Amino acid sequence: MYRTPSYILLFIVMALSQIFLFNNLSISSYFAPLVYLVFLIMLPLELPPIAMLGLGLLTGVTMDFTMGIAGLNTIVSLAIVFVRPYWIRLLTPREDMRDEGIPSRGRLGKRLFWSYAVGMVLIHHTLFFLLESLSWAHLPGTLLRILLSSIGTLFLVGVTERIFVSHIKSQIL
Amino acid sequence: MRKLLEFIRSVYVTVLFILLEILALGYYARSTVYTEARLLAQTNRLFGGVNGTINDIGTFFSLGRENRKLTDRIAQLEEELSRYREMEQLTAQVTEIANNDMSKYKMQTASIVGSTIAHPRNYITLNRGQNDGVRHGMAVTTPEGAIVGHIIACSDHYAVALSILNMEFRASGCIEGSTYYGAIRWDGRNPNYVWMQDLSKYAEPQPGDRVVTSGLEPYFPQGMLIGTVEEATLNELGTTYNVRVRLAAELTRLSNLVLIENIDLYEIELLQEQVLENTNN
Repeated sequence: MYRTPSYILLFIVMALSQIFLFNNLSISSYFAPLVYLVFLIMLPLELPPIAMLGLGLLTGVTMDFTMGIAGLNTIVSLAIVFVRPYWIRLLTPREDMRDEGIPSRGRLGKRLFWSYAVGMVLIHHTLFFLLESLSWAHLPGTLLRILLSSIGTLFLVGVTERIFVSHIKSQIL
Repeated sequence: MRKLLEFIRSVYVTVLFILLEILALGYYARSTVYTEARLLAQTNRLFGGVNGTINDIGTFFSLGRENRKLTDRIAQLEEELSRYREMEQLTAQVTEIANNDMSKYKMQTASIVGSTIAHPRNYITLNRGQNDGVRHGMAVTTPEGAIVGHIIACSDHYAVALSILNMEFRASGCIEGSTYYGAIRWDGRNPNYVWMQDLSKYAEPQPGDRVVTSGLEPYFPQGMLIGTVEEATLNELGTTYNVRVRLAAELTRLSNLVLIENIDLYEIELLQEQVLENTNN
């Protein structure tokens, strides 16, 4: 339970940076990172599925309201929290590794952590941008959008994981 | 009984997940540009202030450029004004045309609170709302007079415009000086280009030609700049041109905008509704 305030803080930081920074980025029409996903990626592994679903719903609805894309963020956020346990189970057969703790480089190892994060981001962004464009006609553009935005989000996953884990550690000591 | 309870416990998360997904999908499927814009206008009551401050910071760094552009514009307008003054002395009639009450269009300025370019449906949120006299259907342009979009939703203090970079955006454009017109739309890719479709083959667009609004729809006054012709290709049948138009407005770096109200818009819409009703009966 000692981590709850840290997670609330993480949620707020991610939501605010999505709303005020990333939603207003005007770099390219193919670059729209969905950084609120970082919060869902960093959630503790032992969290019960129903709590995951609740947090996915909360994140999705919050983002829908602020981005004006009615329903889309909710659809993909729910999907990603639902898929997460299966994805982790697929990645590692070791129960001791996947059943508790924060998914971090320290805990899962570098390779496993990045496979986990890349998978999560790709599933989420692919669903999001495909549903958003709702046509196969612009597929090359949509694919490019998925790729560039995923890279953006993954970069933030890496940075946030560093900061968040060291923050949690300082809380324990 | 216990087995049943256990079964329910094992699947209730999945069932809940499916139910929530159906709800969200249903909501998304029913959303249109109008519901989305209304949602944005409402949430801006909460976030508009902060977004405005952040944009102010951004604006601060482009003040120099903005200033230069404005002085250029002032010089240009001064020149025009002096020409009008000369004409005024020559004929009394010109005063009537320049008279504000005669004009069909009313202008006011606004700043951007938020805007996107990275989605198929992009919107621009502005810091003027119903209380400032902003209405549905007003045209949004840059201070230089290049079109950017039109208002589709307002709250008390904010308004949301359908950006020209929204795949649902439609306008009617023509090559300056010609009467052939085509449909302007964005293909969701490059934020610097839009397409003008179904332009007659007799229009013969040349690269560099100016593309302006045709005035055929009520939102935009006639002759507002859209962009310049980049390239034009005939369709397979050789009957119409597809023209790639370089946008005059740089939507990636907007800060101040001009809103144009067509005072007759309400009257026009009323008339069109009447016609529709009559034809339906």
